[in-house]
Amino acid sequence: MILQALDAYYRRKQADPDPAKRLPAEGLEDKEIPFVLELDASGALLDISDTRSAEGKKKIGQRFLVPQGVKKTSGVAANLLRDNAEYVLGVPDCKKLDESRGKGKEDDYRRRLIEMHAVFRSKIVALPTAAQEDTGVRAVLAFLDTLDVSALEHFPAFADIQASNPVLSFRLSGDLGLVCQRAAVIAAATAISDAAPDGICLVRNEAAAIERLHPAVKGVWGAQTSGANIVSFNLDAFNSYGKSQGANAPLGKAAAFAYTTALNHLLARDSRQRVQVGDASTVFWAEEDHDLENAIPDLFGDPPKDDPGRNVRAVQALYAAVLTGQFTSGGPTTRFHVLGLAPNAARISIRFWETATAFDLATRIKQHFDDLSIVHADYEPRFLSLSALLKAAGRKKSDGTYDIPPNLGGEMMRALLEGLPYPTTLMNHVITRCRAEQARKDQNAKPVPNVSYARAALLKASLNRWIRFRQSSEKEFTPVLDPANTNPGYRLGRLFATLERIQEDAAGGPGRLNATIRDRYYGAASSTPAAVFSTLLRLSKHHLSKLSTGLAIHRERLIGEIMDGFDAASFPPRILPLPDQARFALGYYQQRQTFFTKSEPKNEEESQ
Amino acid sequence: MKRFCLELSGPWACFTRPEMKVERVSYDVMTPSAARACFEAILWKPAIRWHVRRIEVLKPIRWINLRRNEVASVASTRNAETAMKAGRGDLALYIEDDRQQRAGLFLRDVAYRVHADLQFMPDRDLDANAMKYQEMFERRARRGQCVNQPYLGCREFAAAFRLVDDVGAEPAPLAETRDLGFMLHDLDFSNPADPQPRFFRARLENGVVTIPAWDSQEVRG
Repeated sequence: MILQALDAYYRRKQADPDPAKRLPAEGLEDKEIPFVLELDASGALLDISDTRSAEGKKKIGQRFLVPQGVKKTSGVAANLLRDNAEYVLGVPDCKKLDESRGKGKEDDYRRRLIEMHAVFRSKIVALPTAAQEDTGVRAVLAFLDTLDVSALEHFPAFADIQASNPVLSFRLSGDLGLVCQRAAVIAAATAISDAAPDGICLVRNEAAAIERLHPAVKGVWGAQTSGANIVSFNLDAFNSYGKSQGANAPLGKAAAFAYTTALNHLLARDSRQRVQVGDASTVFWAEEDHDLENAIPDLFGDPPKDDPGRNVRAVQALYAAVLTGQFTSGGPTTRFHVLGLAPNAARISIRFWETATAFDLATRIKQHFDDLSIVHADYEPRFLSLSALLKAAGRKKSDGTYDIPPNLGGEMMRALLEGLPYPTTLMNHVITRCRAEQARKDQNAKPVPNVSYARAALLKASLNRWIRFRQSSEKEFTPVLDPANTNPGYRLGRLFATLERIQEDAAGGPGRLNATIRDRYYGAASSTPAAVFSTLLRLSKHHLSKLSTGLAIHRERLIGEIMDGFDAASFPPRILPLPDQARFALGYYQQRQTFFTKSEPKNEEESQ
Repeated sequence: MKRFCLELSGPWACFTRPEMKVERVSYDVMTPSAARACFEAILWKPAIRWHVRRIEVLKPIRWINLRRNEVASVASTRNAETAMKAGRGDLALYIEDDRQQRAGLFLRDVAYRVHADLQFMPDRDLDANAMKYQEMFERRARRGQCVNQPYLGCREFAAAFRLVDDVGAEPAPLAETRDLGFMLHDLDFSNPADPQPRFFRARLENGVVTIPAWDSQEVRG
C-alpha cells in the first residue's frame, strides 16, 4: 500500500503538463553539485566555479538533473561524469588521509585513490560511440589525460575542494548545462535496459526485472547522510526462504526508481510537504493537486521569524475550509496519504501510515487545534506548533536543547491524524515536568511558570480527547475557567492558585516575591493534598489579614466558592491519581489566568 | 471439501509485508497464508490440504509501534551438524555482539473468523476417506488440541482459537469497506529450493475479505 501510493504519486507528477514540476525521469536524479570545472574544447581547465549559496549556516550547492548515480558501497564504483574529488581528480580527502595514516594504511589509501580515478575514466570510455563523439565528453577525456593536480592549486576554489572532498562535475565553456546534461550523454544514460523480466513486481503487478539493491532515500532526519533504505536486507537474519537482497521483496526496477524518487522529492530540504515531529519525518501527499498539501508546514511547524502570522492564517484557512466543506484547490474527497518515517542507521522504519480524505484530515487537524485552545496571555502565539508542544513535555538540557522521549513525536502525530486520544505518556510527562519545575527560576532569579501555556493546552487536549473517546459522562474542559466543574483535582488546583494569589497580594502584588507557596508546595499539593492543604489554608489566614478589607473579602468569597464544591467529609482528598493531577494543573493555570486578565495592564507586564 | 470456521484472536499480530520485512509493517488484515498456518497448527497430514476462503474481521483495525532487540545473524546449520557429530560445540549467539534493533508497526487486539476448506487427496492415503480427517480436525479443534500454538503472523504473537459451529449466531464482522491493495496470498513451493510469492488484490467488503482460489487468475506471481 505504501510503496504503491508512492508509485502512484510519482506517476501523477510525471503526467503534470508543466515540465518544471515533473520529477526526474527514469535514469536521472536531482543532485547537488557544489563545484563545476569549466573546460574549453581542447580540455584545458579555464576555471573552477563555486555554485554554492549560503542558506542559513550551511552553504548549499546548486541542484542539477544528472544521470542517476550508482549505489555507493564499500567497493570502488564511479558515477558518470560527476563524482567527488577522489574519483575525478585523485585528490585525497584530508580526513580519510589522516585516518589511514593513523592506522598505518596510507599506501593502501593511495593505491585505492589511483583505482578510483582509473574507474572514473573507464566509465566515460565505456559510453557508446555516439556519446564519445560529443565535444563535451572529448574535452573531459582530454582533461583527464593531461591532468596535473599541482597546476590546479592556483585556483582559489581548490583549497575548499581539498578540504571537503565535494562532488565535482564538468562544463564546456559556452554551455549552460553540465557535460553530463548534454543530449548524447543523457540519451546513453536513460537508454532503457532490456534486462529480461524475472519476476512479478509487487507494486505494479506486472512482469519486470527485479531490482537487487534499491536506490537510497535521503532526507530522513537522524539516518545516515549517504541515504537509508526502507526495503533493505543487509544482514543474514533478514533473509527468508533462501532469498538474498532484493529478491526478498520483488520490486521491478521502474517501480523501485519511482517510489524512491517520489520519496526523495517529498523529503527534500525545502519541501513543503514534510514536517518533522520529534524523530519522525512525516510526509504528506494527495492523489491530486490540493492546497492542504502545501499548508502542512504552516499548520504544524514554527512560523518563520519574519512572518509570525503565517501559521495563524493557515489555521484560519483550514477552519474556513472545514466549515464550508470547500477547499481553494482540490475537493473534499481527495485521498490524502501521510507517512511517518524514523531512522535506524542505514534503514528506515515506518512509524505510521494513514490514508484519509482531505475533509476528514482537515476535520481532525481542526479538532486538534480546538482541543488545544485555552486562555493565554496576549503575547503568546494563538496556535501552538508541534515542536512547542513536544518541548513542553521534555526536559530542557544545559545546552538549551530539549530531551524529548523518543517515540512521543510519532505517536502524537498518529493520534492527531487518526483522531485518537494523545498518548498517555505525553500527559504523564507533562505532569512530571510541572512538578519537577515547581521552583524553576530564569537567569535573573525570577520565577518561571511551571504550568506554562503549552503544558496547560496539552493537558486540556489530552483530557478532552480521553473524555470523548471513552464517551464518559464527565464534561469536557472549556478554554476559560469553568466555575461549575466539581472535580476535586480541578477545584484543588483553583484553590492553590487562589492561595498563592493571596500570598502575592499580601506582599504587595504579583512579581514582588521570588518564591511563593508554588515553589515549596506545588508537588505535594497536587499529589497528596491531605498532607499540605491544612497548612496552606492556615497560612492564608495570616496573608489575608494583611490585605485591605475589600480585597480580603473578595478573596475569601472566592475560597468559599471553591470549597463549596467539596463534600465536607472528603476534603482534602488523601491522594490525587495522575489524571486528577492533570486537572489540578489545569485548574491552577486557568484560575491564575483569570486573576491576570481582569486586572489593570500593569499585571500583564509583571506576568512576563 | 468440507468447510470449517475458526475464530482466531489475540492481543498482537504482525502479518509482515514482504517489502518492509526488516522494520516490520503489518498488512491491515490477516493474510491467507497466516490463516492456513493456524489451521495446519491444529491438524495437518500429508493427505490433506487447507484452502482459505474467507476472512472476516471482527474488531477495528488498530496499530501500535514497537522497537525490539533482535540478533543480526542466523544460527549456522553447519556448526550445529558438527556439534551433533562431535557431541559438543559452541552454538551460542551473544546479543551484545550481535544486536539489531528492529522497529515494528503491529496490529493490536485482533479477532478474525476464518473459513477454510479441507481438501482430502485420496492418492496419498489409500485406505482412508475424507470423513476421517474431517472428524479428526473437528475433535481436535473442539478440544483445543494443536501441534504447535497457532500464531498471528509472527511466532511470538500467539492466537487463541475456537471452532465456530453456527456462523449465523455469531456477531457480525466490522462494517468497513476499503481496498487493501496487493496482499500476499501464499508461497508457491512447487520448487522447494526456491519458493515464489503469489499476490492477489484484496478488498475488504463489509468486513469480509474473499480469498480467490490458488489456481485462479487473480492470484499472480
